[in-house]
Amino acid sequence: MDINVRKRAQVQVVQLRGQLRMGPAVDSLRQTIEEALDNGDARFVFNLAEVPMIDSSGIGLLVKSLASAKQRGGSLKLVQPSRFAVQTLRLVGLLKLFEVYDDDDKAVESFG
Amino acid sequence: MPRESRAGEHDRQRELTNLLDLRMPGDSSAVAAVSDAIAETLSRLHIPEEKRLEIGLAVQEALANAVVHGCKNDPSKEVCCRLDRDAEGRIMIVVTDPGRGFRSDALSDPNDPENLHADHGRGVYLIRQLMDEVHFEKGGNQIRMWKY
Repeated sequence: MDINVRKRAQVQVVQLRGQLRMGPAVDSLRQTIEEALDNGDARFVFNLAEVPMIDSSGIGLLVKSLASAKQRGGSLKLVQPSRFAVQTLRLVGLLKLFEVYDDDDKAVESFG
Repeated sequence: MPRESRAGEHDRQRELTNLLDLRMPGDSSAVAAVSDAIAETLSRLHIPEEKRLEIGLAVQEALANAVVHGCKNDPSKEVCCRLDRDAEGRIMIVVTDPGRGFRSDALSDPNDPENLHADHGRGVYLIRQLMDEVHFEKGGNQIRMWKY
């Protein structure tokens, strides 16, 4: 999985490409998030437009990261999850936990 | 919701063509390669994309469980994954691990509000939602799943 991170208006915008699944993909993203949290960043936007599938390991990481961000006064928001990713999140009852946006700009602006 | 019928009963009535028979070490980094091999084979069979994704995710979850619970992340142990198709084009996948097995009826419900924020525990639930038939065999260390 490719992970590209840029900071916009105190928000970490994380562009992902590839499948978010058990193994190096989830491990790399977990490390990226932990480093950002350790640096005091707690506002995240995950652009999932190029992520065709998220498995339960990926979902677990999203849930845990959302909780960690919220504990620090921030949040984790999603941009353009694929139809299948939305279906998967809905199946496990988690879609409602996340704010979902059409593009990075709107997601970043939502942090105020 | 899939039917969980008696293991083997339907299978004996079906003539199966084996498409893949893979082995992998009990290591999480090995899951992706097997998952991708399954996806590639399904693509060559011209399985529609949505169905491919559903099967792919179910296989991913089954392999992950085999590695984590069946092999305890021990790469010296082995997971087997078999992909077959019957004469009507229905897909069967069997994942086997060397573990002690488990009680498939004793799993927590990820949709229970108590479990909603857990970072694990959704794999079997997803498999049951995504596949049309799911059988747990050999005390739980083999899963046989069908997609019509």
